[in-house]
Amino acid sequence: MSVSGSESAASANKPKYSKFTQQELPACKPLLTPGIVIGAFSLIGIIFVPIGLASLSASQEIVELIDRYDEECVTASDKIGFIQDSKANKACTRKITVPKPMKGPIHVYYQLENFYQNHRRYVQSRSDQQLRDKDYKDPKAVAKACDPEATTGDGSLIVPCGLIAWSLFNDTYAFSVNKKSVTVNKKDIAWASDKNSKFGSNVFPVNFQKGGLIGGGNLNDKLPLSEQEDLIVWMRTAALPTFRKLYGRIETDIMASDEITVVIQNNYNTYSFGGTKAVVLSTASWIGGKNNFIGVAYVAVGGICLLLAMGFVVLYVVKPRALGDPAYLSWNKEAAEYSH
Amino acid sequence: MSIVQLFEVAIACDVVLCCRVAPLQKAGIVDLIKKRTSDMTLAIGDGANDVSMIQMADVGIGISGQEGRQAVMASDFAMGQFRFLVPLLLVHGHWNYQRMSYMILYNFYRNATFVFVLFWYVLYTGYTLSTAINEWSSVLYSVVYTSAPTVIVAILDKDLSRRTLLKYPQLYGAGQREESYNLRLFIFIMVDSVWQSVVVFFIPYLAYKNSAIDSASLGDLWTLSVVILVNIHLAMDVIRWTWITHAVIWGSIVATWICVIIIDSIPTLPGFWAIYEVMGTALFWALLLAVIVVGMIPHFAAKAIREHFMPNDIQIAREMEKSQDSRDANQPEVQMSTSTRA
Repeated sequence: MSVSGSESAASANKPKYSKFTQQELPACKPLLTPGIVIGAFSLIGIIFVPIGLASLSASQEIVELIDRYDEECVTASDKIGFIQDSKANKACTRKITVPKPMKGPIHVYYQLENFYQNHRRYVQSRSDQQLRDKDYKDPKAVAKACDPEATTGDGSLIVPCGLIAWSLFNDTYAFSVNKKSVTVNKKDIAWASDKNSKFGSNVFPVNFQKGGLIGGGNLNDKLPLSEQEDLIVWMRTAALPTFRKLYGRIETDIMASDEITVVIQNNYNTYSFGGTKAVVLSTASWIGGKNNFIGVAYVAVGGICLLLAMGFVVLYVVKPRALGDPAYLSWNKEAAEYSH
Repeated sequence: MSIVQLFEVAIACDVVLCCRVAPLQKAGIVDLIKKRTSDMTLAIGDGANDVSMIQMADVGIGISGQEGRQAVMASDFAMGQFRFLVPLLLVHGHWNYQRMSYMILYNFYRNATFVFVLFWYVLYTGYTLSTAINEWSSVLYSVVYTSAPTVIVAILDKDLSRRTLLKYPQLYGAGQREESYNLRLFIFIMVDSVWQSVVVFFIPYLAYKNSAIDSASLGDLWTLSVVILVNIHLAMDVIRWTWITHAVIWGSIVATWICVIIIDSIPTLPGFWAIYEVMGTALFWALLLAVIVVGMIPHFAAKAIREHFMPNDIQIAREMEKSQDSRDANQPEVQMSTSTRA
């Protein structure tokens, strides 16, 4: 069978040779040998267990005091009626005893449970352009973004609009340690990036909480939005239905066995939907808040990997196989069985 | 002799020779086998009288040569000589099957992992379809973050060399026995996908449960975790590492990181600055490392067990190739020039 065409025609049709088009690029072809498997699991175990122990010890050192107050602060039987009554006295005093010394700055949080800041309609109900730019007044766009809290009854725009701002948390806490009052530093609790770029320094609240339904706290009309740090913290919507948000910081240390008295203005209505409220005092650490999970998880994973490494050692010793032995090819194995 | 009897005799034979056959009868013979079995049929011919047979078969191959180019114009593949059929099937057919199978399974896996993470989140958003992952990242996931490695591996990866495949034609049976793409493998890869999504969602969830974490930061952690996980999964399965493979796999991870940073640097988007805030916390890095390792352990362990204790022919041939390569490296160079290719 002869090759078609003349020499010059054949070489004119021949595709240009390159290592890429002919798939002859130099390559390395690693194999998963027993050494690599055992080495990898051992390495993970050796790295993870110390990290886990360090995380656990850091978490154990954090002092965290959580006081849930929503149930006990309302003694009336009609809780919802009480909380919605603007004339009722909502002050509530709580006492917390400090078990271990707490080094400043001590972070004060309010913690909400069963509050879905990540609900789709809630999360979308905001207008970031309006928050930033005082001249942004396009009523249709704002109404679309902030529905149902975009305008008051007579159609004038609300600034800041939307359900997130409307539901601003408004419980307040006044602390005293051993009967001496302690100031809570409420500066710099929001992200600096939010204060500088997302919330305008010339945007002021307009028509806020003037509608029939009050959703939460009120705002000082004289302060621009970039200085309303509670609002900024609240509008960084939480990812999970149980969350806490920074209320402020106590800069001084607190000794063990000190008694902290909190006077709470119990304004915020979590009773209509079965939510809970708590005040949290926590020291800070490199691991964040008090949570044993990451330490336990690391130690557990490290331990499992070391066990796997030992298991593989046993398996490789009990059932060894020479790499690349042609006797294991299926047609050779069948031939061997056939000949027996 | 009726058609059915012809079929039954033909099936019982290893080779059947037909002579003095008209073009339509050639097509008829192919059709005979095609209609009555589920086998793949291949027809190869070089003349105009082979055209109907070539078109009737599942795979039609035309030879351009002495008899002109009509066969070539009707065919799926065209070659210069009949003997090129051997590497076409044993080498390129084998590679094609391996690559296509892996690419399809991997595509299902990487998309399912991403979507399952969002699914678990639905359980914690009051069953509304909120996503913590930025919308731009959701779009870029399939386009920028994970597409290039899939494509490059599907084009360039080779499980065995040409030499091995030609030396052991029995290796072609792997495709005929559907060893690379079957229901069992699909279920395994889906289970792996669910496991990894559980790890990506629940490990950060348990760590951030009562904390001040915001949606954008959590979404960034998920985005980076999923992209790194699916790329490392691919890296574990790549057989032949060229510089291009390295560049796209590690490059995609770097590109993802850069894109997440850029997206979180745009003030008009809700997640503004989240990545910088969260990258400054030690917990973020601890979680990222934990998620990647825990996600990969089952796949790695299963791979180690399967490859060592239940090796298939391709695995054995790969190991033989490796020892052959090291033998070649210690001996004088054997030139593998292009002219020695079959």
